[in-house]
Amino acid sequence: MTSATPVAPHSTPLISAQGVAKTYRTVSGEAVEALAAIDIAVQAGEFLCIVGPSGCGKSTFLRLVAGLTEPSTGRLSLAGNFIAGASPEVGIAFQNATLLPWLTVLGNVRLPLRVGGFRRSNDGTVQDLLAMTGIAGFENKYPYELSGGMQQRAAICRALARDPKVLLLDEPFGALDALTRERMNIELQRIWQMSRKTVILITHSIAEAVFLGDRVVVMSPRPGRILRDFKIALPRPRNFERTPSEPEYLRLTREIRALLDQGAAASP
Amino acid sequence: MSPLDTENLSLDDGRRPVGAGAARAGRIVLTLGGGVVLLLIWQASVSWLDIPPYILPTPAKVLAALWSGLAVPLASPTGFYLPLASTLANAAWGFAIGAILGVAIGSLMAEFRAVETVLMPYAFAFQVLPKVAIAPLIVIWFGFGNGSKVAMAALLAFFPLMVNSFTGIHAAEPERLELMRALSASRLETYRVVKLPSAAPYIFAGLDMGVVYAILGTIVAEFLGAQQGIGVTIVQAQAVTDVASVFAALILLGAVGIALHLMIRVCERRIVHWTARRKT
Repeated sequence: MTSATPVAPHSTPLISAQGVAKTYRTVSGEAVEALAAIDIAVQAGEFLCIVGPSGCGKSTFLRLVAGLTEPSTGRLSLAGNFIAGASPEVGIAFQNATLLPWLTVLGNVRLPLRVGGFRRSNDGTVQDLLAMTGIAGFENKYPYELSGGMQQRAAICRALARDPKVLLLDEPFGALDALTRERMNIELQRIWQMSRKTVILITHSIAEAVFLGDRVVVMSPRPGRILRDFKIALPRPRNFERTPSEPEYLRLTREIRALLDQGAAASP
Repeated sequence: MSPLDTENLSLDDGRRPVGAGAARAGRIVLTLGGGVVLLLIWQASVSWLDIPPYILPTPAKVLAALWSGLAVPLASPTGFYLPLASTLANAAWGFAIGAILGVAIGSLMAEFRAVETVLMPYAFAFQVLPKVAIAPLIVIWFGFGNGSKVAMAALLAFFPLMVNSFTGIHAAEPERLELMRALSASRLETYRVVKLPSAAPYIFAGLDMGVVYAILGTIVAEFLGAQQGIGVTIVQAQAVTDVASVFAALILLGAVGIALHLMIRVCERRIVHWTARRKT
């Protein structure tokens, strides 16, 4: 197995956020600061995890990178270009698999290839993706015939259909049971190592973040700021037999937990 | 709703729990038994109370009238088949036109705020109007031929389809719309891939109502004057106080209504196969 793609310190980041802030206006006209000005740089091939309490703006950050919403201030760029709207270079999987129940698994996975002016329908690629995400053989099933874990595999497969540079995952395993979740973590690590995508994973789980990430960014309660950026130097491939008992893993999860507890105590 | 429907609705995965078959058979027996008891009471009270047949005929006479209308060659001028075919053909055309226009205009209103703003107040003003009262006007405009029957059926079928497709499109899940935005899908693609399928269960509920209304519209138009149709059969039987034949025609219409309802349910289960299932 190859180890994680080494990140050269001098390389220009694939995703760069400088002073990116987002303020929402509620229906009653009240301004809600979801994201305070944050700076973050994500290198190509990196696996970045973002943890933080609910409402810390981590999903907002993901939506900004996906081009689903615009920053109120600041500059956000992908491969040197400002992000203005959705891009085929970015694939996203949501917390709920959000598969369309009237389409088969194959129909869902191929959806990105037949809408949005993206017409490079490469069936060979789709077959490879189905195999890589472990849903080959389930193409003709409907989403409701699949387990929660299989549904999320299909959602990740769909997010990869356009062969994007960046894979955004918004708490994709939050609704799964603990065992399925662990298995999906192993699968995601494998998919990432095979596909060599840049991954940003949003999660509530410190264990999941440390297990998967090259870096873990910890965010404060609203308005979201970056409290600390941890480098995770655990060897890969990581597994649930050894990794969780490594001293480095224990130290990191403890430190991140302490940081989140502090943040929770400091917030009103 | 028939016992058939309630039975199948309670199943979420197509598998029957043990004993469900017996319970179902029991319910059918109960429903049919109730009907038989009702017929016996009807028959008994007509003979005991000495009600004249031009007010209320006995069930036996009604069944005889039904039989005499059905036990004839298909093309017989005295049978029920020709008028029924005429009524159904006009209702079907009206239903198709009304349903297509209803889904189209409901969709346009849901998609374009301007269309909604312009049309919605008038649509609702028109909907509170008892549309059967418009029938004489429709006959003036479309004549005594098939045109007025088709138009009445279309008019009545239109509203449930318009309202339901409008409501159904607005019921599309925001997450699915967000997915389409993340894929840079065009408005038409989003409508076709997400909004219309989301509205499908609502549209089927509208079709279920619309098909009954289409028959109603056709019959009302036929009352006002027509060469042929079950509405004509009813009016002619009424004119000669052949009340048994009126009842027979009504029973026929009831049976046709149930058959159409079941047909739509079958289509719905095949097309909107995901609704009875687990959420994704």
